[in-house]
Formats: sequence, C-alpha cells, structure tokens
Amino acid sequence: MRKFITVLLTVLLLALPVADAWATTKAAAKKKVVTRKFSGSVVTVDRWGTLQVTIVVRKTTVTTGTRKKVTRKITSLAVPVYPNHTDRSVFINQNALRTLRAEALTAQSANIDLVSGATDTSDAFVQSLQAAILKAKRT
Amino acid sequence: MSAVVRRNEFAGGTSGFPQAPSTGPLTQTGRCAAGLRRVEYVMGMPILVDVRESLADEAVIDDVFTWLRWVDQTFSTYIDGSEINRIDRGELRLEDAHPVVRGVLERCDELRLETRGYFDARAGGRLDPSGLVKGWSVDRAADILYAAGIRNFAVNAGGDIRLSGRAVPSPHWTVGIQHPRDRARIAAIVRPTDLAVATSGAYARGDHVLNPYTRRPPTDILSVTVVGPKLATADAYATAAFAMGGEAAAHWTARLPRYEAMTILADDTRPLHWRIPE
Repeated sequence: MRKFITVLLTVLLLALPVADAWATTKAAAKKKVVTRKFSGSVVTVDRWGTLQVTIVVRKTTVTTGTRKKVTRKITSLAVPVYPNHTDRSVFINQNALRTLRAEALTAQSANIDLVSGATDTSDAFVQSLQAAILKAKRT
Repeated sequence: MSAVVRRNEFAGGTSGFPQAPSTGPLTQTGRCAAGLRRVEYVMGMPILVDVRESLADEAVIDDVFTWLRWVDQTFSTYIDGSEINRIDRGELRLEDAHPVVRGVLERCDELRLETRGYFDARAGGRLDPSGLVKGWSVDRAADILYAAGIRNFAVNAGGDIRLSGRAVPSPHWTVGIQHPRDRARIAAIVRPTDLAVATSGAYARGDHVLNPYTRRPPTDILSVTVVGPKLATADAYATAAFAMGGEAAAHWTARLPRYEAMTILADDTRPLHWRIPE
C-alpha cells in the first residue's frame, strides 16, 4: 500500500462526460445505452486481508449528426472481496464497507470538513475503486 | 449525535473545491478562489494539505510534501536503511544520528516518563517512534505553512489533524470524530481553532496499540481523542491513554494540562472530559 493514490470518490458522484467531435449538422439524435460491470484491483489491507470493489457503469452515447456525447454513470457498487480472516476484522470491516457503499452512491453533505479516526479500509477501497473507474473510462 | 461520515479529504467536498482530475498523476491537487488542497500518500497513509487562502503559492505545498517524504525516509521502520532501523540494529550511534532524529527520540523518552511508560517507542520490542513521528512531522509541516504567511489551513494525516484559522469560507473548521464501532456515525463534533486533534483506537490498523506492561491490546476501550496545541503530544497522549485502557485512560486524560480528551469505552459510555473552548 506504499503507493501514491489518486483519489476519485468524487468522480463517482458525477457522470464522466466526454464530448467528442464537433459538428455543424443537426440531425435526429440517436441514443445508445450499454451497461457493463468493471472490477477493481484486489488490494491488500495491511494484515487484515484483501478487498476488491466492482462497479456497474451505464454508458450512454447520444449521437447527433457527427457529434457524439458520452455519459457514464455508476449505477451500483459491490464489494465482493473484503477482509475477514478473524471474527474481529469481520465486525469492523462489514460496518466500514456498508458505510463506504452508502457514501459512494449518494452525494452526502454532513457539514464536516475533516474526520479524525481510521483510514485503513477506506484507502484500499478507494484504490480498488479507482482501478475500476479507470477501466470503465477506457471503454 | 449521529451523522454520516464523509471522507472529505477524498471527496470534492462541501467546500466547493474543484473535482479531482479523473486521470490524475500520483497526486491530487485542486485550486480555486478559496485556496489549494492536495492529497499524497506518504508514510503509509493519505495526507491532506488543505489551504484556504486565495494567494497561497503552490510551492509551499511542495515544500510540505518534500518535508514529509524526507521524514518517511529517515524514520520509517519499513525502510531498511532508515536512520531509525540503523540505530535499532546498532549500526548507527545515537550521537552520530541526524539532530532531528535525536530530538525526536529525546521527546519519546520525555513522553514515556510523562505517560508513566504507556507511550513507549520500544513497546513492540524494537525501536519504533512512529507514534510520535507522524504528529511531530505534521506540526513541522504546519510551521512551514505558517512561516509562508498561511494562516487558514488543515493538515490531515490519516485521521490525525492539525488546524489553523478557519475553513474559509466557513467561519471555523468542523472536525467529526469517527465512532470506533460504526464508521457511519460521528461520535462527536469539535470546532477547534489553531489546535490539533488526534484519535487513537483499535480500529485504525487492527490492534496495533499494546499495553507495554501486559503486552496485550486493551479490551475495555474503543478510542481516545485528544485535542490540544501540538499534534505530536496530542497523538502520544491519545496512544498512551488508549494503552492504559478503560477508566484509567479517562482519569489520566482528565488531568492533562492544555489538552482535552474524549474516551469511548467498550460499553459506549463517554466519561466527560470534553471541555473544548468555544
């Protein structure tokens, strides 16, 4: 885990818009929707075990003439692999992951600037999530 | 009190800062009218520097992270050739070590006495001052920012926080203390100015705090949060109190001059030693 990570939770809360070619012609818009699942990397959470995040992304391509607009949206998120090698870590991590799921899927605004407390599981979560998002963006 | 924990150092936040670049390099930096923020992964944890001043120079943030990486190289117990490991193996004499290393180890000794041995850089059987180094390096990072004329900032090193001024445009910083049993909950909220907030608990990295006398992790305590002027001291006090366990922690922290504490016991009661000045 001794790596820098780019943290992208925010990206989840948004679609990832990619505007492509520009065109002058106006034609009827064509819409294509593809839904796919992407797995993040399996990340080691110190000595607790491993964690992996998968996301389901709905990609909407709207074509108007030669102009293409692609929007991606995360529709669901799951944690198929999480640390559970002792009773204690199961207790801790199940709570943690439930929270993180809720955080990722809804735009919260508890008016808190900073949180004092733990970091471990969320680091791995973010790292795996980032890998999944990058995969989704490449399609 | 309950609210949803929001890892604000990751999310774009309530602060109106720009969103993270979607394909970033290794660091994340954002700038807007209200200031600058950057997260980097140093010392095995994400460290956030959040500057709420429009005229802040990004070079200062570079200086802060250069400093933190130097600290990591020098003090890491994971890096074979770090001064700390060389001292531990007897390859480097204390008097030949970097003056900063000597200073930290001296402070570790002071804190060991002050905490009646519960804060012990050798509790795990080998020299490991990281319980002090994190907070101390963040205090020095705050000095770097302060010396550059920055007055409104926060540095969050894996949940241990040093604050100055206010979270512009908001009139203060609001810090949530994560509930040790349930990350969805905030156990308390504190609005400190020019203070440090450190939380020690079993939940951060497994049971990593041991009672140096029993060599076991305490069982009747969930977390201790200490608020006070210096993060190094607040963090060491929080670690020591946690190692004491239960009622002992609550009683010991109640007598600390200039440092306030909140202890959460395993039965979820909260001894009241929480007197944060408004």
